[in-house]
Amino acid sequence: MAIGRKARRKRIISDGSIIQVSNLIKKFGDFKAVDNISFSVKKGEIFGILGPNGAGKTTTIEIIETLQEQTDGTVTVDGFDTLKNPWEVKSQIGIQLQSSNFYPQLKLTELLKMFGAFYDTNVDAEKMLEKVNLIEKADSYADNLSSGQKQRFSIATTLINKPKIVFLDEPTTGLDPQARLNLWEMVSDIKKTGATIVLTTHYMEEAEKLCDRVAIMDGGKILKIDKPKKLVKDLLAKGFKKKISRQNATLEDVFLDLTGRHLRDE
Amino acid sequence: MSRQKNKLKETNQIRAYLAMTWYSLIAQTRNPATFAFGFIFPVVFITIFGLIGNSTQTLTIGIPDSTEPNQILTVIEEQSYMKLKTDKKSVLEQELVQGKLSGIIEMQPHDVTITTSVANPQQAQAIESIMRGLIDETNLRIAGIEKPYLTLFKKELSGRQFRYIDFALPGQIGFALLSTAIFGTVFGIVYLKKTLVLKRLFATPARPLSLLLGQGTSRLIIALTQTVIILGIGIYAFGFYLPHGFQTFWNIMIITTIGLIAFLGFGYFFAGLANDENSAGPLVNLITLPQLLLSGTFFPVENLPSWLQPIANNLPLSYFNQAIRIITAEGGSLGDTDKFIAGLSIWGILMYALAARTFRWE
Repeated sequence: MAIGRKARRKRIISDGSIIQVSNLIKKFGDFKAVDNISFSVKKGEIFGILGPNGAGKTTTIEIIETLQEQTDGTVTVDGFDTLKNPWEVKSQIGIQLQSSNFYPQLKLTELLKMFGAFYDTNVDAEKMLEKVNLIEKADSYADNLSSGQKQRFSIATTLINKPKIVFLDEPTTGLDPQARLNLWEMVSDIKKTGATIVLTTHYMEEAEKLCDRVAIMDGGKILKIDKPKKLVKDLLAKGFKKKISRQNATLEDVFLDLTGRHLRDE
Repeated sequence: MSRQKNKLKETNQIRAYLAMTWYSLIAQTRNPATFAFGFIFPVVFITIFGLIGNSTQTLTIGIPDSTEPNQILTVIEEQSYMKLKTDKKSVLEQELVQGKLSGIIEMQPHDVTITTSVANPQQAQAIESIMRGLIDETNLRIAGIEKPYLTLFKKELSGRQFRYIDFALPGQIGFALLSTAIFGTVFGIVYLKKTLVLKRLFATPARPLSLLLGQGTSRLIIALTQTVIILGIGIYAFGFYLPHGFQTFWNIMIITTIGLIAFLGFGYFFAGLANDENSAGPLVNLITLPQLLLSGTFFPVENLPSWLQPIANNLPLSYFNQAIRIITAEGGSLGDTDKFIAGLSIWGILMYALAARTFRWE
């Protein structure tokens, strides 16, 4: 049994993928939220799942995280089947949910220590808060943070167990441009530690800047998976032409030029 | 090697349990609702009930300023439980009708007239019999009879005076327990569900059972602390009596623990039914308010109409209150409460079974 798993793990590692999703189906009644999708995520990459609301992004990511069970198909995370070994999977991954709320009436340091105990690891809470630029909020309750601060704190909690894979579900939704830039830097920093990152987003700019590969989903199906640059190239090769000629700057560049890039929280 | 590490992680749920217990306890002590319902309300009630029990009754008697005093007045003035008030007759009569006076006494050289009102029937009766006694005594004294033919002696069997606080205090332990176990749990968990905090916690390798047990344990610690504080105030401020000292104290703690575990079942069940605070409020009131009124928390079940008593007597809070009263007021042992503990356990098991079916993480 142990040898069998070892062999399987070896195969997966040589294959270079850390997550494998095969023929995944999730039904809610008659509605197919996820309709027979297969893909794999390579070790160390940032993998983006893009799509409009209701495309099935969150359902897919939550099945990989073991928070939901699939109707059919298999998912392996770091060699562990999510249905057979959910507890092994949970201990290998870090999760940021779409809503970043935390246990009420606990200070940030206490929350980090509590999560540390749940992952059975010791946490240097101050050091973690420094990393996400929240040390001056150490004694605040999570409820009193701004949305950008909450997202940063939320990311700190995903790193507690030094996870092999970090899942970020719409990490920048609702953030101002400065906070978004800051979060992008944090995601790049996590990648530098060797972790694999899976994120969902509505923002194409975000996907283009951060993701090594993206899967574009709609109606529970994956329409295309590839590197962002390759996807753009393919589209152009089909003879696509943008109607308005490309500007060298966008309104966002104007906004950032006027208001600066430094982070605001209040 | 990594597999071995995982195995180790899987078995260490104790740490997750202890952490949940500790941090849930810290969070609760910072929550104003814990203090309001669990500590302040019961303490205020105990204080009020304690004061009711301690005040000796006084009778206020009006004497019209037009009256001619005779010997009976000096006798009345000697009675410490009688307060005298002099005013115009019309004013006094009005106060009597309003129930502010127990009676009006008018004196002629050889007559004493008592006026009472239906506004205060009990005091009317008391004042009539007291005045009869005082007049007889005065007559005998004036007649110079030192040793009357018949004398009434009163003897009291030694025993404890049963006061309202002896009834009210066990009910307050129950009230505090109900708040912590049901209000606290339902609103707490519904909030955690709605904000997806619970989902985030269950995304960690800590097992749901470890986390729910940890939450329950922290509520148990709060409930036991409440019980100790309520008992402490009752004992030291109002002379609440523990018949067998520490033995009685430990028995109360044991019954509190059993009661909390049973009521937590209600909490988890209703937390499973309610989706948000708006549906939680009415649900919680639906199970707690009738129990507070019917289970002998503020007044005895015997005061209820007879058809309601069988229902009232079998409510979980009734079982709890009755068990505590057997231990305290009747000086009974744990064995004497077996019926009620069994009843509480049946309610508890039923609720946990229902909770297991309704409970959802989100």
